[in-house]
Amino acid sequence: MTATVERDQVQAIAQEVFAAMIDGDLGLLLPWDGDLPTIDDALVAWVDLHGDWSGRAVLVTANDTALDLARVLLDLDPRDDVSRDDLVDALGEIANVVGGNLKSLLPTPGTLGLPHVGDELPPLDGAVRAHHLPLSWRGRLLVVDVWVTTPLNPKEIP
Amino acid sequence: MKALVIDDSRTMRRIVARALEDLGFEPPLQAEHGRDALDQLEAGAEVDLACIDWNMPVMDGLTFVSQVRANPAWRHITLMMVTTEAEHGQIVRALAAGAHEYLIKPFTTDAIRDKLDLLGLVPAEEHV
Repeated sequence: MTATVERDQVQAIAQEVFAAMIDGDLGLLLPWDGDLPTIDDALVAWVDLHGDWSGRAVLVTANDTALDLARVLLDLDPRDDVSRDDLVDALGEIANVVGGNLKSLLPTPGTLGLPHVGDELPPLDGAVRAHHLPLSWRGRLLVVDVWVTTPLNPKEIP
Repeated sequence: MKALVIDDSRTMRRIVARALEDLGFEPPLQAEHGRDALDQLEAGAEVDLACIDWNMPVMDGLTFVSQVRANPAWRHITLMMVTTEAEHGQIVRALAAGAHEYLIKPFTTDAIRDKLDLLGLVPAEEHV
């Protein structure tokens, strides 16, 4: 996996997704600088990839941050209420787009599952975390992880 | 101009619909999956453009494109895939099935405008 998709590529995908869908500016999603705070009240969105290469793209952030992401995506005012359905749909769609773009970098065709959102990430049998990117969206922690279950070459696991 | 936005994500439907309205389209019809969209067309919905996600439950976007192309009554509908499926092979499959254009997520309103401009679907007042 690391020979197939590099950390910088994952970061570039996340930044492109946020620039196009959320911020309109590439400079608002940056590598996290400093100690990592604990994410209380986390919301997790993920999408699984299937094929010669299988894995999972994961997005983790605090519920409040997810609410603000949903407000931007849905073109709501900062004080507008966001329903749980809209929150789940919005965060899931971000994970879906990140996962889809990750899939496009793989050397062989595969399929993308439908996005899921929950309070915690369910286990993925045999998976190892290939990339862990703590990012700052407008100063708030947002983590993008990539998990791998069937690397093309076992030596590619970091 | 009348559009139908087909995506299982309500968020993405709103984003695409908003972009189309900004480009002068009427508020678009929306469908959660291909079967839902076909039902609306069979019920008589008038549509010039369909924006279609690929991965959806019940009926995926590629199947929807094939079904629309199989019906001569819907030959006038312009079909644009709007999807995260970015591999060359997938693009070829969609175009071979009858899609006219292919837009990869994430996209900007400018990117939609450019694609629709190529298809001759941007109202004249939107040209700058």
